Amino acid sequence: MCWGGFRVPGIDECLLHAMRLPGVRGAALVDWTSGLALGTVGDAAGDDHETAAAETAELARMVAEHPTFAPLGTAGGPETDHGKNPPVEDLVVTTRTCYHVLRFVETSFDSSVLLHLWLDRTDGNLALARLRMRDLTERLVLE
Amino acid sequence: MLLRLASERATGALLRDRGTLYLVEGQVVHAESPVAPGIDVMLSATGRLRPDGWTQAIREAGADGAVGRYLVDSGLVSGGELEICHLGALFDAAFFALAPSSGPTRFRYGAAHWIGPVRPVAAEAVERETLRRRALLDRLWAHPETDTAPVVPSPRSARPRTAAPRQRAVLDLADGVRTPADIARALGRPAFHTLIDVRRLAAAGLVETPRPAAAAAPTPPSDVARLMAMSADPDVALLRRLRDALEATL
Repeated sequence: MCWGGFRVPGIDECLLHAMRLPGVRGAALVDWTSGLALGTVGDAAGDDHETAAAETAELARMVAEHPTFAPLGTAGGPETDHGKNPPVEDLVVTTRTCYHVLRFVETSFDSSVLLHLWLDRTDGNLALARLRMRDLTERLVLE
Repeated sequence: MLLRLASERATGALLRDRGTLYLVEGQVVHAESPVAPGIDVMLSATGRLRPDGWTQAIREAGADGAVGRYLVDSGLVSGGELEICHLGALFDAAFFALAPSSGPTRFRYGAAHWIGPVRPVAAEAVERETLRRRALLDRLWAHPETDTAPVVPSPRSARPRTAAPRQRAVLDLADGVRTPADIARALGRPAFHTLIDVRRLAAAGLVETPRPAAAAAPTPPSDVARLMAMSADPDVALLRRLRDALEATL
């Protein structure tokens, strides 16, 4: 966001910070209910960012909504929460050449948003990426 | 019409019977629809923004068309939250505003919205997303009547075990009176997201539209044909519906 020449940290800043991690090919902020890409940067995994967002959303929804991964009545997912903040923090998909890390974003209002990072497996650092994504998603809604 | 306005870099409001799109130099900067909860409803529903905070923002910055900026500058919401919420509201309202309709379409040059600039979106992207959303709904459950009619939990459903937490919030408010738009407003969620949840719940056999009182004259053959055509891979919910339709013919 840019108002009168003054930049306010928002989606683009979050994604550009994510792109500074080693081995990152692309990043996107995705609404996992609708499958909409709210913002994208870098290359898209697969055909294009829109398709990638829709497919990422589908995967995230399966994890966020199935009791095996997101049990009810546990810490971080009380029944009264109505799934506002999914108990799942992130999920990692490992392919032969890449990592995909999907981190759920907790917002103070009702939303279903995640940060998707696509990393090269040789150059990327999965542990660092997960830590940094936690930090970035927290800052996205606080700053 | 939207794409033509975009190509001529128009600024103003595109008014349709189910909503309004606001353009600045051909880009979509905001959208509103009576069906879709506004950004104020979404930010207030969970207590993120108190109603007096919202009133103050409108009073201070509404006339300048800079309410979004005021909310961030005064620390009421973060820049990221405003963008996430605003984009959610924009695409949600645009989905309804751009729905096929026979009503009139007008463009009021120069009209601006009080929210002010947040994160403009290309008109092509809004149009493309609207079409994608329509296709997504039809893929989930090809019965648009669940979008506008009040729904009730299916009497046979074992809801606590089968509905995901976010869908259960919808199910808890499905009382046969509230429409999906009413449920969305109560939860402070985009209306389209509630349509998705309702269609998923309907496909799983967890909700149904109340049968009209005049259901004494059913037309089962077309119902059966529709159900058969709906899916090449019938599941239990589908078979239950099929059975109900067949029983109704006896």
